[in-house]
Amino acid sequence: MAQIVLKNIKKVYPNERGRRGLFGRRREEERKSNLEVTSEGVVAVQDFDLTVGDGEFVVLVGPSGCGKSTTLRMIAGLEDISSGDLLIDGRRVNDVAPKDRDIAMVFQSYALYPNMTVYENMAFTLKLKKVDPAEIDRKVRDAAETLGITPYLDRKPKALSGGQRQRVAIGRAIVRDPKVFLMDEPLSNLDAKLRNQMRAELIKLRHKVSGTFIYVTHDQTEAMTLGDRIVIMKDGYVQQIGTPQEVFNHPANLFVAGFIGMPQMNFFDAHLVHVGNEYHLETSDHDIALAPQTCNRLSESWVDGTSKVVAGVRPEQISLAREDDPDAISGTVEVSELMGSTVHVHVTVEGSELVLVIPTVDFEREGGSFADGERISFKFDQNAIHLFDKESGKNLVRS
Amino acid sequence: MQRERTINRVLSAFFTVLSLAWVYPMFMILMNSLKDESSIGTSTAFELVGPQNAAGLANYVSALSKQGFASAFAYSLVITVTSVALILVCCSMCAWYVVRVNSRLCKGLYYLFVFSMVVPFQMLMFTLSNVADSMGLNTPFNICFIYLGFGAGLAVFMFAGFVKTIPLEIEEAATIDGCNPVQTFFHVVLPIMKPTYISVGILETMWVWNDYLLPYLVLDSTKYKTIPILIQYFRGGYGHVELGPMMACIMMVIVPIVVVYLVCQRYIISGVVSGAVKG
Repeated sequence: MAQIVLKNIKKVYPNERGRRGLFGRRREEERKSNLEVTSEGVVAVQDFDLTVGDGEFVVLVGPSGCGKSTTLRMIAGLEDISSGDLLIDGRRVNDVAPKDRDIAMVFQSYALYPNMTVYENMAFTLKLKKVDPAEIDRKVRDAAETLGITPYLDRKPKALSGGQRQRVAIGRAIVRDPKVFLMDEPLSNLDAKLRNQMRAELIKLRHKVSGTFIYVTHDQTEAMTLGDRIVIMKDGYVQQIGTPQEVFNHPANLFVAGFIGMPQMNFFDAHLVHVGNEYHLETSDHDIALAPQTCNRLSESWVDGTSKVVAGVRPEQISLAREDDPDAISGTVEVSELMGSTVHVHVTVEGSELVLVIPTVDFEREGGSFADGERISFKFDQNAIHLFDKESGKNLVRS
Repeated sequence: MQRERTINRVLSAFFTVLSLAWVYPMFMILMNSLKDESSIGTSTAFELVGPQNAAGLANYVSALSKQGFASAFAYSLVITVTSVALILVCCSMCAWYVVRVNSRLCKGLYYLFVFSMVVPFQMLMFTLSNVADSMGLNTPFNICFIYLGFGAGLAVFMFAGFVKTIPLEIEEAATIDGCNPVQTFFHVVLPIMKPTYISVGILETMWVWNDYLLPYLVLDSTKYKTIPILIQYFRGGYGHVELGPMMACIMMVIVPIVVVYLVCQRYIISGVVSGAVKG
């Protein structure tokens, strides 16, 4: 196990501007993403500060091109670090070769050696270290037992299914008994059912194997279920670092609020109005009083003047209401999707679309169906409202 | 469906005729190698072997007992084996480096290799033979360096094409597992490239074994004869040609190359990488 410290890590890909390929083609990368381009080049990751505790499971999550895999590859030593310090157990490893960092990595594409059997794949790293053959055999068989791949030890990777191959890749990592496990979207290539199964197995594995885990994914379900802490990234910047609960309940900004949660948080534009000791949200048709707690925080942090805000409410926190309820808001059903235990109802209110997640039991109790075009009424708790600055996207009431 | 079948039939017929046309000369060489020498004339060359003209294996015995046959065979073998081995090892490493490093220098080098494929040998054969003489490359042991130069274009091109299809993650996994670049090459990349080694190996073997002009120009032919050069020596003085033994000799030198091809082609299997990564 090990503590990993990333101090102000930055990754810049040298500028390709002006350098043209043989046939005058410009490099594509610059135009593709929203990454910052400076005089040094394309900045893939910047201002990355993180301390991963001993034995902690940290998940880096974000949309593609946000720099999460680059960060992981820098920790692995597969990419150079442009500036900043990377410390593993207090030792600066910026210039240490990957093999000397005592890390193991699991790749999205498994990256098994096709010419070797499962056994040889797992034993390869130990053989290179000239470990005693009896010891290698014991370690490989132990790992195979843990992962349930003992029957396949003599097979070549091509004779295995996707799930089995990924197990072998994980096995290859655990035989080394490394300080740090790095996982680069290890479940992304599996089908949905297998992914759920492997996710559960990873959680179990984590308790069996001691080690610090850094896990990269673009799937927020994996991030929420696996991580002790989640690092949410966008365009090379860290957006928020926190426990799954924290990032779900107190998103730092609009991006995090929209990224975490499925279906994503509902947003609508509103004006924040200060009336006496209270704060109200005003939209063209509605006036919503905010909860006292929110008001207290706003009075501490919010500077009058920037009244344009974006309000967010999680779909799960909206419930159906009677038409005569004073807090009820009504809207028109656009589409309803039955997901099994819940129904996702897409509703238009004042031109903006909201999604409601209604448990099927409630929906049956109401005895109604959600026909397209039907008017329905719903309400949400004052405490459920998140407020974000329209300009900067920052959460206005985050503690 | 009907149309497809017709096309298939036409194609089958066409290629059957074509392959027969290719096999026919070889078949005639075989026939003539078994004939009595007096029955290999302008008018009788295309007759099949029969009791009237059969010579049994006499021509083969005569060819084998020809002065220098054994040494020519040995020289050909040495030149072919060393050249092909050198081409395979050097070019596969070079292709791997060129593809993975992918700097401007490497790209330039790659295009230079590809360009060398289109330069005809005849264009540079005289300067080359001078250079070979002055550098001491005119022995059967050093000529392989010249073959390396000529073979590199095609070999690097083919290897580079294959290296591009090897997923980079496999090599990165090897790096993390503790391989240095040399170990990565020999433990991971080389085994994956096996099918390409065999394809390139077959092509280069056929070329080097059968090559006449290069050894003829470079080697001191009074001391060193390779098989294709030796065959020329079946022409005696005054335009006399020992046709029977010559045909027998040709048959004997075809055999090794056919054996190499038949043995190796079993190993040319596609999809050796399958299973390494998703897909």
